[in-house]
Parts: sequence; C-alpha cells; structure tokens
Amino acid sequence: MSASEPLRTIEETVRATHGRPGPAYWIGLAIAGGVAALGAWSYSLIVRTGLHWTGLQRPGMWGNLITDFVFWVGIAHSGTLISAILFLFRARFRTAVYRVAEMMTVFAVMTAGLYPILHLGRPWFAYWLFPYPNQRQIWVNFRSPLIWDVFAISTYLIVSTVFLLVGVAPDAAALRERATGWRRRLYTLLAFGWRGTDEQWRHYTRAYLFFAAFATPLVVSVHSVVSWDFAVSVLPGWHSTLFPPYFVAGAILSGVAMVITILIPLRRAFRLEALITPRHLDMLARLVVLTGLIVTYSYATEILIALQAPHGDPERSTFLYRMTGPYAPVFWTMVLCNCVGPILLLFPAVRRRTAVLFGICVAINVGMWLERFNIVVTSLSHDRLPFDWRVYVPTWVEWGVTAGAFGWFFTLFLIGLKLLPPVSIAELKEEASHAAHPPGAGEAAHGE
Amino acid sequence: MASDGRVLGTFAEPADAARAVRALRAAAFRVESAMPAPFPEVIAALGKPRSGLGLATFSGALLGLAAGVLLTVGTSVAWPLVTGGKPIVSVPPFVIVIFEVTVLVGSLTNLVAVVVGATLGARRQAAAARAGATGDRIAVIASAGDPADAGRILRESGAEEVRDVA
Repeated sequence: MSASEPLRTIEETVRATHGRPGPAYWIGLAIAGGVAALGAWSYSLIVRTGLHWTGLQRPGMWGNLITDFVFWVGIAHSGTLISAILFLFRARFRTAVYRVAEMMTVFAVMTAGLYPILHLGRPWFAYWLFPYPNQRQIWVNFRSPLIWDVFAISTYLIVSTVFLLVGVAPDAAALRERATGWRRRLYTLLAFGWRGTDEQWRHYTRAYLFFAAFATPLVVSVHSVVSWDFAVSVLPGWHSTLFPPYFVAGAILSGVAMVITILIPLRRAFRLEALITPRHLDMLARLVVLTGLIVTYSYATEILIALQAPHGDPERSTFLYRMTGPYAPVFWTMVLCNCVGPILLLFPAVRRRTAVLFGICVAINVGMWLERFNIVVTSLSHDRLPFDWRVYVPTWVEWGVTAGAFGWFFTLFLIGLKLLPPVSIAELKEEASHAAHPPGAGEAAHGE
Repeated sequence: MASDGRVLGTFAEPADAARAVRALRAAAFRVESAMPAPFPEVIAALGKPRSGLGLATFSGALLGLAAGVLLTVGTSVAWPLVTGGKPIVSVPPFVIVIFEVTVLVGSLTNLVAVVVGATLGARRQAAAARAGATGDRIAVIASAGDPADAGRILRESGAEEVRDVA
C-alpha cells in the first residue's frame, strides 16, 4: 500500500466532518442554544431587578457563579496539557485528540471569563479591572488576586487561541484545496498563506515548540492564580498552601474527563473511529487515574491536617462542617465521583468499556463542579464567627445561569466543530506515513 | 550544463523524497521541497540550519518582562497608593503579573515571527510554494543545474512524476 493511501483517507475523513449537518447536529445545537438562552434570560433578571434573585447573603457572597468560573477554568486546562505538555514529552497518542482538547480549552476559557463578570453587582463596570489611563484617576491594584485573574485568564485565552489557530493553519491549507464558496474563503484565511514549503515547516516546527514551552508554565500558573483567589484570604478552608497544586491537579482531572466525555460521542457521530481509537481513550483514561489519585491525596492531606488541630480550631470546625453539616451530601458525592471513579479506571476491563468510561467521566465532571461548590460555599457559610453562619442555597435563577454556561460552551463547541478540523491532519499524516514505512526501515530498504 | 530551469518531482513516500534530496544536493543542485507534514527525514536531508525564530521570540519575552515590570513597579511608584498596608512595590504579587505579561508578549512575538518567517520563506521558495504540497504528495524541486540530470535523479529516487516547472 502506498503511504499516500492513508494520507488521503485521513483528509477525506476529516473533510467529511465538515459536510452538511444531520438532524442530530441541529437538535444538539438547538438544545445547547436553548439552554444558553435560558441562562441569558435568567441572568437578565438579575441585571434588570437586582441580586435578590440569587441566594447570596452575608457571609455567603460567592455562590454558583464563582463556582462556575472555577469549574470552567479547570475544564480549560486539559487542552494545554494534552497539546503542549504531552507534546514536550513526545507522547504520540496526543496527535488524534489534542485538537478537540484545544478547541475545548478556548471555548471553556470564553465561558469561564464571563462568570466573574456576571457575578458582579454592576457588570457594566467590569472594564475598571483593566489598567488604562482614565479620568477617574484610579489605578488597578496589582496586589489583588482579582487583578491576577484578569491577567492570567486574558493571557490564557489569547495564548490558547493563538496555539489553536497556529496548529490549524496547515490543516486549513489541506482542506482549502477542494473547498468551495465561503468555506474556501474561511480555510484560506485560517491557512495564513500556508503552502507547506520546507522553509515554512522549518519555522513552524520551531515556533510550535516555543508555543508549547510558553503554554506549559502558563497552564500551571493560571489555576494557581485562581486558587490564590481563595488561598490568600484568611478564611478557614481557603487559607492553605496546598491549593495551587491541588487546583492544578483537579483542573487537569476535570479537563481530561471532559475531553473523554466529548470524544466518545464525537468519534461516533462524525465517524472518526479510525482516527480516534480505543487506545487513545485508554491513554486519556490513564491520565484521569493519575490526576484522580493526586486529587484524592490532596483531599486526604487537607482533611487529615485539619483534623489534627485541637477542638475548637476553625480549620477543624470547617472541615467537620463540610463532612457532617448540611453540605455533607455535596461533600460525599464529590468524594465518590472524584476519588472512587478514577480508582475504578485502574482496572483495564473498566476503562476499556466505552460506555462505562463515559459514565465515570460524566460523574467526574459532576464531582468536580461539586468540589468547586464545596470549596467556594462551605468555607463562607462557616467562617470564624458562629453568629454569622448561614447556609447558602442557590436559587432557580442561579441554576439557570449555571446551566447557561453549559449551553454556551456546547453551542460554541458544536459551531467550532463545523468550522475547524477536529483532528490534526498534518500530524496524523506524518504518523500514518511513518506507520506504513518506518523511517529506519525505509533507509535500510534503500541500503543507505 | 548550467541552466535556470527547475524540475519538479512528486513523491508518495517521505523516504524516497529524502533520498532524492540527498542525491540532488550531492550533485550540487539547489533543492526546495513542499510537503503535507513535517517529515523529519526530508527536513534532515535538506540540511538546513535550525530556524532563528527563537531569537525573535526570546527578545519578545524580554520585552514582555520589561513591560510587566514597567506596568507593575513603574506605575505603582508613579502613583504611590498604599492598599492593605502593603509596600508600594510588593514583589511577590507583582511577579505574577510580570510573568503573565512576559508569556503574553513572548507568545505574540512568536506568532508574528512565524507568520513573517513563513511568508518570507514561501516567497524565497516561490516554485515550491506554487507547487504546494498540502495533500498526499511531497514535492521536490531541483534548480541551478542540468534539468536532464535532475530529472534522472528524481526518477531514480522513485518520483511518481517528473516535470519542468517555471
């Protein structure tokens, strides 16, 4: 078989994903768009008539919307892990799955970035967070974690978008050749004049390495910064040096679980089974196991250290409250989903059953949202002053805005799937070519 | 016989293309290539130096570092407001902002450098760019030598098609 056969097949398979959408796609898009619209309408109630639509009251002034922010920043982490960190480690299995993860990253950051703004009482003043000369003669406070968030999230959005688009350029050039109409114009734009010359590849491969080198510490910094929103305060349950690694591991766990949750239906719906194989899912499931174990260790460390404190210690009191108080169902569901779920994936027989893997990953996503809720809400509900303790319960309006995040994310994702190639054509071509004729074997055959 | 004529050979296999490149270079031809993926054997055979793009990217990162310092330290010193009893120049929190700005400006410089490098590269290799190879074939173009010799080498290396190009 000629090496060009699998190359042509790869391109055709990817091209087919950009064909006319079927009814299932439109139904999915309508549901996602409808849920996003529900979220927008729910939020409009808050904007029009005030924060009384929320369950926020002193001392619990952070609720679902901040939980959503932390959750979606976490989801955004897998893309950079899979595309940049695994690239630097030369993990070849990333080739078939990293484009979906990168798309997910960009759309998840776009979702996450909205929520602190939606949380504001007066969101129209959100631009005050940016440092620019102004008539108010006030300047941003660089010592505040909220400003660190602005810099971290904005940088992460820009860098991950650039990383995605740079990766797409050679693939867009490949798809451009046989495209017509608006799609040809789109691919031409995304190709950045790509012709595949050796000079172009020479610069491109080097630049890609640098993007990966920039993105790797960036991904660690972003969720560390988000964790410092909590850790630099003095609130029991938040003030912990464990938070940055704990948050980064949790983010990667939730992100990889979300990638698997998306890939399983995607490979079936778009007939990508030949490119995204069970081996790829298996390798991702192993990442879930690794990060799940780190998260479990973090939970254990956090709890055991708190329980070693004497009776009456605020840390101990907060952790006992989490485990046995009114939020105990949230805590134990979180433990079940995030600790037991990944451990089940240690067994090859479990992680190789696609339906079971899908179920566990959905459960991990639920568990990770609950983890964020557990951190954000329970600490505020049970601070150092017993007279101030209060249980926060989200209202239906807040649930609507939370659901809206999922609707917004999946709307963007479904549209993105029809505009960008969901797998890297160029890298798969390189892999397929070398699988058919390993470079060493070829050289030997030619006697060189 | 020296000629300005260019000869294009198309290959299905990267190993064949790499062999052709090596043979053409050994015969003192100028060689360009276009390929749908960065096949390492072809790139190695072309024997080109590593891209100097890193220098631009590193400069961009340094510029970002300076911008980050100027933004945090410079503006805090210029407008000294004490907040939370913290020093005017609070190094640990400023490092976070400086790091993010360094990564941002470094990455954007990297983007500009690769776009400029790829555009100039395509201009310098006009024949390869015209031939293009984004599908399933690798194009190898030989020039600055006898076209007949180039055609023979390309055929002997396993080219599927050999033709003269402008």
